Amino acid sequence: MRARAIILGVVFMLIAGLGTGCAKKQVESSPASPAVEKRMADQQNKEQLRKEEQARLERERVLQEQALEDERKAAESAAAKKEFDTAIVELGNMVHFDFDSFEIKQEYRPLLQQKAEILKKYDNVTMVIEGYCDERGTEEYNLALGERRARAAYEFLILLGVAPERLSIVSFGEEEPLDPGHNETAWAKNRRAQFRLTY
Amino acid sequence: MKKNMSNIKKSALVLPAVMLLMLLAAGNLFAADTLTVDIYGPGQRKVNIILLPPKTVPEGKYAGSTETDLPLPAEAGSFNKDLEKDLGFLPFLNIVPITDILGGDPSRGVRPGDIEIKPLRLSKVDLALTTGWEIRPNGEKNLLIRCIGTFNGRTILGKKYSMVTEEMLPRIADRFCSHLMRVLTGRDGFFESSIAFVRKTGKNKEIYTVSPQGRNLRQISSLGGINLSPNWSPDGNRLVFTRLGSRQHLLCVWDRATGKIDQKSFPGNTVIGPDFLPDGDMAATLTMNGNSDIFLINGNYKPKKALAKSWAIEVSPDFDRTGQKMVFTSARFGNPHIFMLDMKSGVVTRITTEGKYNTNPTISPDGRFVAFSRQIPSGHRIFVHDLQNGRERQLTFGPGNDEDPAFGPDGYFIAFSSSRSGKYKIYLTTRHGDPAMQVPTGNGVAKAPAWGKAHKS
Repeated sequence: MRARAIILGVVFMLIAGLGTGCAKKQVESSPASPAVEKRMADQQNKEQLRKEEQARLERERVLQEQALEDERKAAESAAAKKEFDTAIVELGNMVHFDFDSFEIKQEYRPLLQQKAEILKKYDNVTMVIEGYCDERGTEEYNLALGERRARAAYEFLILLGVAPERLSIVSFGEEEPLDPGHNETAWAKNRRAQFRLTY
Repeated sequence: MKKNMSNIKKSALVLPAVMLLMLLAAGNLFAADTLTVDIYGPGQRKVNIILLPPKTVPEGKYAGSTETDLPLPAEAGSFNKDLEKDLGFLPFLNIVPITDILGGDPSRGVRPGDIEIKPLRLSKVDLALTTGWEIRPNGEKNLLIRCIGTFNGRTILGKKYSMVTEEMLPRIADRFCSHLMRVLTGRDGFFESSIAFVRKTGKNKEIYTVSPQGRNLRQISSLGGINLSPNWSPDGNRLVFTRLGSRQHLLCVWDRATGKIDQKSFPGNTVIGPDFLPDGDMAATLTMNGNSDIFLINGNYKPKKALAKSWAIEVSPDFDRTGQKMVFTSARFGNPHIFMLDMKSGVVTRITTEGKYNTNPTISPDGRFVAFSRQIPSGHRIFVHDLQNGRERQLTFGPGNDEDPAFGPDGYFIAFSSSRSGKYKIYLTTRHGDPAMQVPTGNGVAKAPAWGKAHKS
C-alpha cells in the first residue's frame, strides 16, 4: 500500500510536473481568441502611431528650433550688416573747413574719433581722403589747400591709431563742388575732406 | 703838318664822341625819321592807322591800264577783314575808318605817290596800309602790302607775297602784322605764338592750344578726367600739365614730335602747377615729405631738390628767360603772397605786401615785371609789379574774377582767364592794362592760359 502510495505520489508528481510543463507550453502556443488578437494589433498600431507622431513632433521641434536658430542668426548678421552699413555711412561723413584754412575744427574732432574707432573695428576697410576747396581761391593754390585739408584729417586719424597704410590722400582743389552755387552756403559745403571707402 | 696831325688827333677823339652821340641819338633820330612805339615805356601812345581799300594794280594782266577801278579778286575784301582783325589785336594801334577822311578814299593806287597825304594828315592818321592785287596773265595772284607813313609819305614796310591762294590769306595777314609790330615796336612773336589752356567739355577738362588771334584751335590731351595747369617748354615743343587721377595726381608731358603724353606719379600723390625751366628741367609742387614744396625735377622725372620749402603751401613756380629768377606763391607768412627766388644765390625776396590773397605769379621773359592775381572785395584782379621800382598797378577791373595771368613771349601782352561774361574765358591785355580782348577758344569754359613762344610747325 505504501509502495502504491509512493508510486502514486511519483506518478502524480510526474503528471503534475508534466502538467505544469504542458500548461506553460499551452500558454505560449495556445492560439488567442480573434478578439484578443485584434485588440493586440490595435494596441500595436496605436503604439506605432504614437511613436511616429512623437518622431514627427520631434522632427518638427528640431526644424522649428533650427528655423528659430536660423532666424536668430539671420537677425544677428542683419544686425551686423546694419551696424557695418551704419559704420560705413558714418565713415563717409565729411569734415568741413573755414575759408583758406586746413585746421580740423573742434566740432569735427568727435567725428574723426568715431571714424578711427570704426576703422579699428573693421580692418577690411581702406580709405582715400579727398580734399576739396570752394571756388573763390585760385586753382593751383586750392589744389595745395585741398591736399592740406585731406592731410589734416589723415594725420588726425593716424594719431588715433589707424594704420597709415590703410589711408591715402588726394586733392581735387576746387573741382567737383558738392553745391554749384556761388554763395557762402555753397562755399561752406564745398570746403571739405571727403572719405572714399574700399571694402 | 703838326696842325694837321693835331687835327687828325682831334678828329680821332671827336669821331668816337660823335659816334657815341649818334648812337645815343639813334633812337631819337629813328623816331624822327620813322614812327616807333615804345611799348615798354611808362605809358604808350596810340598810333592812328588807316586801312585803305584794296586795289588791283596795273601790272601783269592789266599792265599799262590807266583805269583806276580795275576788277578786284573775290578774296580782296575778306583779306582786308583779316588784316583789320589782326591789327585790332595790337593795342597801340587805333584803326581809323575811311569815312573819317575828308573826301573819302585818298588813294588811286597802292604806292606812296598814289596817295593824297594831306587829308590823311588832317585826320591825324599816322600810318596808311595799302593792299595791291597783281593778277598775272595766267591767273596767279601776287599780293603787295605796304605801310606808308604820312609824316613823310614814305613806305616804312612793304611786302610782296607771290602765288597767293585763298587759304594762305589769314597767315599772310598774321605775317605782315608781325613784321609791322617788329618795325613799330622792335618786338614780334605775338601772331606766331600759341596759347595753351584748359577747356571744359562735359565733366572733363582737357588741354588745348590756340593762337592768340584764335587760329589753329587744337586739342592736345584726350585723357579724360581733370587736366590742369599747362605750361610750355621754352622751345615750344613740349607741354607739361597736371592730371588729377582718382587716387593721385600725375605729371604729364606732351611731346609735339610724337604726340604722346608721358604720365608720372610721385610719392605723396601730389603734383601741382608744373613748369619748365629754360634747360628743360621742370619744377612743380610735390608733397614728398608731407609739405607742399616746390621741387626741381629732372628730365627723367626724378625730384632733385626743393626750390621753395616751408611749413606752408608753396605753389605756382614761373621762370624768366634765363632761369635766374623764379617767382612763386607762398603762404609762409600766413596768407598767400608772391615771392621771388634768385636761383644762383638762393635768396628769397617777398614781392607783394598788400592784400591777403595774391596768387598765380608770372614773370616777364626779361625778368622785370611780375604779374599776379590779387583778391580784392569784388573778386580777383590782375596786377603787375615792376621789380625795378617796386610799383604796382592794377591791370584788369573785372567784373567777376580775373585770374591766371601769363606773360606773352614779348613781355608786352598778358593772357588771363576771366568770368566777366559769366563763364570763364581767355582774354588778352598788355602790361599797360589795355582793354581786354577775348581769345576765341570755342565752346565751354576756358581757363589757365600759358603762353608759349613761336615755333616752326
